[in-house]
Amino acid sequence: MLLIHCPHCQEYRDEEEFSYGGEAHIVRPLEPEALSDEEWGDYLFFRTNSRGIHHEMWYHLVGCRRYFNATRNTVTYEILETYKTGTQPTITGANL
Amino acid sequence: MSLNRLQTHTGTTLDFTFNGKAYQGIAGDTLASALLANGVNVVGRSFKFARPRGIFGHGAEEPNGIIQLGSGAGTVPNLKATQVELYQDLEASSVNGWPSVNYDVMGIIGAFGRLMPPGFYYKTFMYPKKLWMTYERFIRKAAGLGATPVEADPDSYDKLNQHCDVLVVGAGPAGLVAAREAARTGARVIVADEQSEFGGSLLASKQAIDGLQATNWVASLVAELRACNNVQLLPRSTVFGYYDHNFLTILERRTDHLGLTAAQGVRQRMHRVRAAQVVLATGAFERPLVFAHNDIPGVMLASSVSTYVNRYGVAPGNKLVVFTTNDNAYQTALDWHETGRDVVAVIDTRSNPSGDIVAAVKAKGISVIAGHGLIEAQGNQRVKRALIAPINALGTEVTGPVRRLDCDLIACSGGWSPAIHLSSHTGAKPVWDESIVGFRPGESKQQERSAGACRGTFDLIGCLAEGATAGAEAAKMSGYGEGIPQFPCSAVEEFVEQPQQALFLVPHIKSISRAPSQFVDFQLDVSASGIELAVREGFESVEHVKRYTALGFGTDQGKLGNINGMAILANALDQTIAETGTTIFRPSYTPTTFGAIAGRDVTNLFDPERYTAMHRWHVEQGAEFEDVGQWKRPWYFPQNNETMQESVNREGLAVRNTVGILDASTLGKIDIQGPDAAEFITRMYTNSYLKLAPGKCRYGVMLKEDGMIFDDGVCACLGENHYLMFTTTGGAAGVLAWLELWQQTEWPDLQVYFTSVTDHWTTATVTGPNARKVIAKVCSDIELSNEAFSFMDWRDGTVAGVKARIFRISFTGELSYEVNVPAHYGRHVWEALMAAGEEFNITPYGTETMHVLRAEKGFIIVGQDTDGSMTPADMNMDWVVGKNKTFSFVGKRSLYRSDSVRENRKQLVGLKTLQGSDVLPEGAQVVFDAKQKIPMSMQGHVTSSYFSASLGHSIALAVVKGGHSRLGLIVHCPLADGRIIAAEIVSSVFYDPKGERHHV
Amino acid sequence: MSKSIKLESPLHYFHAALNRKPEPVKSPAGALFNDEAEYGLVVKEATLSAHLNLRGDGSNAHFCSEVTEALGLMVPLTPGTYQRNGNTSIYWLGPSEWLLVEIGGDAEELETRLRKTLTGHISIVDISGGQTCINLRGPGVATVLKKSSIYDFEAWDNATSALGRAVQTNFAKASAIISNKSDGSYDLVIRRSFADYVAQWLLDAGEEFGCRIEAEKE
Repeated sequence: MLLIHCPHCQEYRDEEEFSYGGEAHIVRPLEPEALSDEEWGDYLFFRTNSRGIHHEMWYHLVGCRRYFNATRNTVTYEILETYKTGTQPTITGANL
Repeated sequence: MSLNRLQTHTGTTLDFTFNGKAYQGIAGDTLASALLANGVNVVGRSFKFARPRGIFGHGAEEPNGIIQLGSGAGTVPNLKATQVELYQDLEASSVNGWPSVNYDVMGIIGAFGRLMPPGFYYKTFMYPKKLWMTYERFIRKAAGLGATPVEADPDSYDKLNQHCDVLVVGAGPAGLVAAREAARTGARVIVADEQSEFGGSLLASKQAIDGLQATNWVASLVAELRACNNVQLLPRSTVFGYYDHNFLTILERRTDHLGLTAAQGVRQRMHRVRAAQVVLATGAFERPLVFAHNDIPGVMLASSVSTYVNRYGVAPGNKLVVFTTNDNAYQTALDWHETGRDVVAVIDTRSNPSGDIVAAVKAKGISVIAGHGLIEAQGNQRVKRALIAPINALGTEVTGPVRRLDCDLIACSGGWSPAIHLSSHTGAKPVWDESIVGFRPGESKQQERSAGACRGTFDLIGCLAEGATAGAEAAKMSGYGEGIPQFPCSAVEEFVEQPQQALFLVPHIKSISRAPSQFVDFQLDVSASGIELAVREGFESVEHVKRYTALGFGTDQGKLGNINGMAILANALDQTIAETGTTIFRPSYTPTTFGAIAGRDVTNLFDPERYTAMHRWHVEQGAEFEDVGQWKRPWYFPQNNETMQESVNREGLAVRNTVGILDASTLGKIDIQGPDAAEFITRMYTNSYLKLAPGKCRYGVMLKEDGMIFDDGVCACLGENHYLMFTTTGGAAGVLAWLELWQQTEWPDLQVYFTSVTDHWTTATVTGPNARKVIAKVCSDIELSNEAFSFMDWRDGTVAGVKARIFRISFTGELSYEVNVPAHYGRHVWEALMAAGEEFNITPYGTETMHVLRAEKGFIIVGQDTDGSMTPADMNMDWVVGKNKTFSFVGKRSLYRSDSVRENRKQLVGLKTLQGSDVLPEGAQVVFDAKQKIPMSMQGHVTSSYFSASLGHSIALAVVKGGHSRLGLIVHCPLADGRIIAAEIVSSVFYDPKGERHHV
Repeated sequence: MSKSIKLESPLHYFHAALNRKPEPVKSPAGALFNDEAEYGLVVKEATLSAHLNLRGDGSNAHFCSEVTEALGLMVPLTPGTYQRNGNTSIYWLGPSEWLLVEIGGDAEELETRLRKTLTGHISIVDISGGQTCINLRGPGVATVLKKSSIYDFEAWDNATSALGRAVQTNFAKASAIISNKSDGSYDLVIRRSFADYVAQWLLDAGEEFGCRIEAEKE
């Protein structure tokens, strides 16, 4: 059971209050109609599925109802940081 | 006084029975110590060979004394006799052994071993597969794995969520001093120990600490801890799992020791602990020596013999032979000598033992036979003699003549294995250390550290020092204290010890494969030759050998057998133990009851039942209920012993002919406010809301980004920048999260707020040709004419004196008014509507009738007629997609993906059975040609199907490949019972296709 | 509204059912809890109250001062806290979301007052019918909270009459907004549809202390 620091509630809260939101920082194409099926399919279905550092969204469902992002090591389940939506991670695969 | 009870040990007498026979024990006994006191040799039969087995250990490591406690509803299978505290009238039996442990049929036939060589399961699974069920039944009956109670458990269990700064696991010497150091800093401390008393190994020790006898030192320290209000002491509490982010689970047995029915209150409690820091002080298990027939009752661990003597006042035999590879076990000879019973000899595999305790033993005149191995035990249901022989220095072969020593008890010690289980749960990889001949805990993966014997530190002074450091350090890392132990190091008598010998398999005069069985894992009858056989058959990985031989698979999880097993494997593979490695320990450390895992979440509390404000009214009317998510919704309202179909017919006809009333409160409702509300809603639905005026409603479909229907409902414009969105009952929470996701992460620039108002509003749907007349009787401030208040309008007004919001939307196809009032007034308004409708025979109807009525109209239910792979076009709902919307709403682009526009997608149609009385089962498969060979080519399936009383025949909705262009085609539904029902593909709208009835 | 209109709290039928079956709860020792003082857990439902969900930009000083002007109360900006003035409390639910409760208050009047004063992008939603306040007191409370929620209530500082801690979290298998009071008791705001479940849970979880559930007159 993970312990997750909610950047809005500013405290560690238990995993059972949250729901997982999938990979973070995937920006919706501004002009979907301009994309080929393949390009749209990439946006829709393909994820990095990283081994190691992974940036992902979490929703504090039974709490402040805010989405935020976490940098998590998918091997150890260690959460290295959490940060508000719209901001960038300080820890990335490149700088670890 | 029982046979083996020492005169010096007295206490309250307790009566108990074992396998139906009456015995007496003394308060403070475990079932194991009481059985040993009574001279009970055989407590069970081994799993595979059905060999008689006796008590071997004294704690969680016990492989043989597996018992069934009690009978009836409270019975518990698979408990270890060494961990069951004795109470008055305790009733226990062996889990293995049929028909009785003393005369085991299988043991006498001796056939089982030949039936079940190592790898039996795998060989049997592979060929012949179909026989496995037969074998399995036979194995279970003969081997016995205990019986689960068939009645409901009468006891209560619960869970406690705990938070602490320092969790100390184990209250032996290291754990106790760790707790003392942590407690001193003011940190919140929890100390858990699986035994009834704190002290661990000190409970059976005669060593002096700080001038106090060990047990007295423990008592004073425990009293000190008990006085601290920042410390929680949990005896009888096993930490059985260590999970991510320092989350640990503890099973506390609160009343088990009082008897199965003795106490009210909570029998077992699971503590779910989030600890900032953990100190593991779980001790070590003594390692048995693997020699021929080492499983005969009367062979025990040396430390267990000492524990029974010193702690329980039980001497489990008369003539003791100690067999050891180390100095430690010599203490057992001294303890036994003190009882006045005979120590035949100490057999030491080392050629020249000379430590302090060795000298003490020799000084007592006890015979020490060095450079020898005890190569075989003999006896049937009890050890009668030991065969000993000189062995070489490496311990690999017998080098001289065999001698016989008469004895009835063999205490063996192959050294100590740290209990690294919990550290292993965290993913830390155990590290082999030759110097302790054992695995030490690996590098920490969590906020934990090990101290004392579980870290491979076996001397008392070392344990105390490590415990103190660990406690202080853990406290500091959780923000308390300086990290330096504050209490002076305890003064302990020290002994000079010689190194132990690493010996994992005692040689026999015969080769491994020919020698009498040398058992490694007692519970599952894994022998040294079995492991060798696995290697000969080509298994190399320790994980594979474990599964092939079942080594460590028992309820003791290989606490005794694993190290010897790995070492024998390493030797057979010609590898080092470090190269071979160990298997991974996983939770649970010891078996955990389902009761404790379930806690209070049982029966009426298993899952919340959500009620509407009218729930009790429905109950009073005798409604049958249907679960919709967690909601209890009235399913139908039977009258006068009606069948469900009769009720549904009556309710449906009432709606079509006069007026019905439905509790629609469970629909999800989301209040949406903000200057960009309309823009946002328009991005989420397939159609546009930009021009929806206050007082108006619109039906919308929501798609996931893949273009598939996800939810539907009506959205009303309440005022400027203010909307109310209805969702499906089951979709309420998901839709709210979906809206928040898009607003918060994709379009934070859109100014809009969402608030759930599902629970705030109660909804009574009044529907049918007489609906307007009913509403008119209770509402005088809304102009109800069709012109003033049209279909898809809503109005504020007063209903039965309560401020209400009425929507003219319809899920039945009839004239409908959905009356919404704050839920506190729900029942009042409902009853007023019932009274107003009385003259029109207003009929309450449930979800089943609602389903029939909407299916007659061809209205879909998301999740029933759709399954996450349906586009609006598939549902024949292209009309709801706003093709001219400027913004690419969620899911829009996917509607043009090649797969979304391909021919032959499953499309929603109606099915009319040729025999109108035939009602197709939902889920029935649709085929075009009923005469084709099986497996048939399936072309679709039935999603909704009912008998329509209004139409006088059955109706069904189905999704059929290319269905929209196949109207008129006769299709077939082959059913499981052999019938094939023919039906015609028709429009999905069966009733009032022009939609005239709801516009009146 | 007319006096003939019946109002029912979410626990109306729970109370009614309990009153029909006034069986005292047995303690672990077998004694019966007959006297209120002996109950380790007393659950009391507050009178029906005004509950408003308030949304706005907490980082906007105008918004905060407008709320204060309308209510005579500061908007709590510290996560996990509430502010209280007499019967009126504002609970922090999120960075832009608060719960406003006026015990025994009139939601419509409160909403009108706020709408008159508040400007800009805000949202005010009456949710009075959807929830109820219950108070948990007695020596068993801390343990019952541990049984029911994974949140660490021990870590909280004591409340005063004007401010305290509040958290929205899981409560058994429902959710609740839980806050502490200066008298050491706890308030729970629970959802209407889950109220019966929560009451049954409390009776069960509080059984070992002796548990009583009482209603304010409706």
